[in-house]
Amino acid sequence: MLRIDRRFFHSFDWIFLVLVLCVSSMALMNLYSASYPPSPWGIPPFLKQCYLFLFGMLAVLFILFFDYKILHFWNYPLYIFIILLLVLVLLIGNSAGGAQRWVNLGLFKLQPSELAKLMLVVTLASYYSRKEQSDGYEIKAMITPVLLTLVPFLLILKQPDLGTALMLGIIFVSMTIFAKVRWQTYGLGIILGSSMGVFAWFYLLRDYQKRRIETLLNPDKDPMGQGYQILQSKIAVGSGGVSGKGYLEGTQGHLHFLPERHTDFAFAVWGEERGFVGSVFFLGVYFLMLFWGLYVAMTARDRFGVFLSFGVVMLIFWQAVINLLMILGFLPVVGIPLPLVSYGGSSLLTTLLSLGILMNVRMRRFQTGQNIEKMK
Amino acid sequence: MKWSGYKNLEELSEHDDADLDLLKRRITFAGLVIIFFMAIIFGRLWFLQIHMGEEYRCRADNNRVRMRAIAAPRGNILDAKGREMVTNRPSFNVVLVREDSNDVDKLLKKLASSLDLDISVLWEKIREASSKPRHIPIRLLEDVDWATLAYVENHNQEFPGIRIETVPARVYHYGNLAAHVIGYLGEISKKELAARNSDIYTGGDLIGKMGLERLHEEDLRGEKGSSSSEVNARGFEQQLLKNIEPLPGNDIQLTIDAELQKVAEDLMDSEDKAGAVVAMEVKTGRMLVLASNPVLPLDQFLGGISHKNWNAILENPKHPLINKVVQAMYPPGSTYKMITAMAGLTAGVINADTVFYCPGHLKFGKRRYHCWKRSGHGAVNLKRAISESCDVYFYQVGLRVGVDKLAEMANKFGLGHKSGIELEHEKSGLTPTKAWKKKRRGQKWQEGETLSVAIGQGFNLVTPLQICLMTATIANGGKQLLPQVIEKVTDPAGKVLKQFKPVVVSELKGDKALLQQIREGMEEVVQGQRGTARQVRIDGVTIAGKTGTAQVVRLKQYKHLKEEDIPYKYRDHAWFTCYAPADDPEIAVTVLVEHGLHGGSVAGPVARALLESYFAERLQKAAAVEEAKAEAAGQER
Repeated sequence: MLRIDRRFFHSFDWIFLVLVLCVSSMALMNLYSASYPPSPWGIPPFLKQCYLFLFGMLAVLFILFFDYKILHFWNYPLYIFIILLLVLVLLIGNSAGGAQRWVNLGLFKLQPSELAKLMLVVTLASYYSRKEQSDGYEIKAMITPVLLTLVPFLLILKQPDLGTALMLGIIFVSMTIFAKVRWQTYGLGIILGSSMGVFAWFYLLRDYQKRRIETLLNPDKDPMGQGYQILQSKIAVGSGGVSGKGYLEGTQGHLHFLPERHTDFAFAVWGEERGFVGSVFFLGVYFLMLFWGLYVAMTARDRFGVFLSFGVVMLIFWQAVINLLMILGFLPVVGIPLPLVSYGGSSLLTTLLSLGILMNVRMRRFQTGQNIEKMK
Repeated sequence: MKWSGYKNLEELSEHDDADLDLLKRRITFAGLVIIFFMAIIFGRLWFLQIHMGEEYRCRADNNRVRMRAIAAPRGNILDAKGREMVTNRPSFNVVLVREDSNDVDKLLKKLASSLDLDISVLWEKIREASSKPRHIPIRLLEDVDWATLAYVENHNQEFPGIRIETVPARVYHYGNLAAHVIGYLGEISKKELAARNSDIYTGGDLIGKMGLERLHEEDLRGEKGSSSSEVNARGFEQQLLKNIEPLPGNDIQLTIDAELQKVAEDLMDSEDKAGAVVAMEVKTGRMLVLASNPVLPLDQFLGGISHKNWNAILENPKHPLINKVVQAMYPPGSTYKMITAMAGLTAGVINADTVFYCPGHLKFGKRRYHCWKRSGHGAVNLKRAISESCDVYFYQVGLRVGVDKLAEMANKFGLGHKSGIELEHEKSGLTPTKAWKKKRRGQKWQEGETLSVAIGQGFNLVTPLQICLMTATIANGGKQLLPQVIEKVTDPAGKVLKQFKPVVVSELKGDKALLQQIREGMEEVVQGQRGTARQVRIDGVTIAGKTGTAQVVRLKQYKHLKEEDIPYKYRDHAWFTCYAPADDPEIAVTVLVEHGLHGGSVAGPVARALLESYFAERLQKAAAVEEAKAEAAGQER
């Protein structure tokens, strides 16, 4: 299965790699400031993230040697493996802040729910690329993908981790719409979705989750309670002004006014220190990277490649949008990281693997089925 | 690889990719979605950072910079000899900044249990301040002891939002001495706050509420300092950004001699007397003693007086709140006779040798006007009339000069108008005239009333300070001086801002020899064989004075009673006023004992003790010289 062609080296997308490295280096620099001053004990988050980044890049290099197509074969074993991990988390996981999300692997604590996002992208891509339906999927054909999504969704909701669970839903919806479904399917989906939403509001959502949504509507009313985080985040970003306060000069972050400053709210630190100009520059590069991902999908050689790269871009894009809208005060605090920017090993690894898949698809754009046969 | 539905990779690649282009076209739509959200995010960034940037920058600064005022130590108050009467000490308050605490409820519970406090008291304080902004500190405990201070300081990490505030508190080195003059401090009221410069005062500040603390608030208050420090989200100060030290207030040195004042107050207090003791330098107008009993309990006013204590003060029948030196008016009684005599001498109706016969009463109109001595004094001249206080003599003089001339003379000696002393709510007293009665009462003056006025009864009203001024004017040869209480005001650098200077309000014109005749009479009061104040005599100092009894009511039903059977509030007031030394007067002393009955025996001893204390040094020296002489004489022999 290991096929290395000199052409792969030539068709490797160096521009995309540069974009990824640009975003990553700015993100690491920001993380240094967001966790400044370094705590005197333990490995500082900045260094940890650096190590993990290097490890992730090695992993990317490793998967580049395999044709992405083997995921077609391995996606169900992978799926089952991840589901088992999710069950394991519920049984023996480490808890923090009232939720069980981590499995301790000794070297670092793995958050299987992060991997589950990527796993769902691969699974759905595999499913939709096989079951071709030029005039859209019928309701019957949707049963399998819905079930495939629902199992990890419920397991993650149980942790509870509303944000990640919602991400799975969003990935499912994005990819399904992309795969095209019939109008009846849409109708049924909307009805089922909204009734589930109402049901969830009254029976499933916990009080703190409801409060988060309520305070979003008016954070200034209750500045010490739930609205505090959103307000402080807005103050941090807003006080950056045009050109920012300067690297390591942000006060909102360093004086702890900003909550979760190196994880979910890491971008607020950037906004405070770099201002409007820096923020637009950073997000410009970031979105360029995503557009490049779509371009990878455009040039993929087969349906699986298209679905895979599209799903991966959507995975990163939606997390980024939700995180940014939260930081800018448009969404409630839901605990979704900004990929590559927020501190967190599992999220970083998942994101790097996703980007690795994009590179893989891009690298093998010229290789068709015929080529493979020829090579044999 | 059965699970995948494919046997191998090749099977997959044979798959028909016919609608691959169709699929790829939908990617464009995804691109539009990304652009849409990009636009929202960039627009929001523009709104927050550029449109609202300035406001958020302010809010970020407000977040991190905590400005704190540092109270200035008030100026010290010293006595005439430079002894400290009122100074400051640091006192420590436990304060809560609600903004810095994320759970006030929990915090208070913890504080109450660790310090063993009643939590409802703490809650009450929070409730009182609930309308204030959250960053304003609320005083939970005031003037805490060292144990509490140490506990809170050592555990400050456990009490986010709780801080120790150091503020200067007043120390009264002489207790309640001269309380009416010094006054007290209290928390600034809403009304006072509204009327004052908000740059200088904020809620919770202490401000002078009475006495010199109030009148000289601007001198004493100093200038607040401030410190700005950077705090983190938990309210812990990270670093000091700016510190401006407070400027202490100006020191005020009084003309009051604390030791003399103490003699006066203690003596009045030990015999449970209510009244006033006033002493003044006759040549300068420096007030040496301004005592009003009962004294005001200054210590009860520290940190706000309790309701119970305040009511006790209000309900006390001896009215501790009133400064009897200037705020209470009494009939002058016989102390007024000097005025009558002076009016008579000036008008020429009498001279030193004029003799009137006193049979114990004077018949005027249909009434008999009694002398205090029912058996009569017989033939009396001016000197004897003063020394024995013969009423009939002064009836005669009064009748001959008329009430208006009496009033005119009284005014020249400081009666009937405010002296202008720097004390609050001074009363002007009353020197009745015919015009006054017409105007105020709408009635014609009765000649009989002139008789009452001539002996200091009737409509006459004076303050103890006025009698002292009158005495001083007699003693110094007719100069009416402005009574002053402040020797000097010094700023913290030692620069003298204000220095005492005698001020002559008016000077008696005419023959000053006439005053000498009155002075002789007054000397006889104390030094004479039949003087009414013989008890006051001190060996080595000649004293000139005058006793007085001011009738409170003239009720028949009490006339026949023995003095001690008359209800307290109907007993006569006792006056004694004097100056010394008689040949070269330095000090005038006036004593009023409310309902004290007898000037000579009740008010006199207080004045005597005061003079003894005032002349103590000189008397000791003289005694030493005497002794040495005696010894020398003994050796010679």
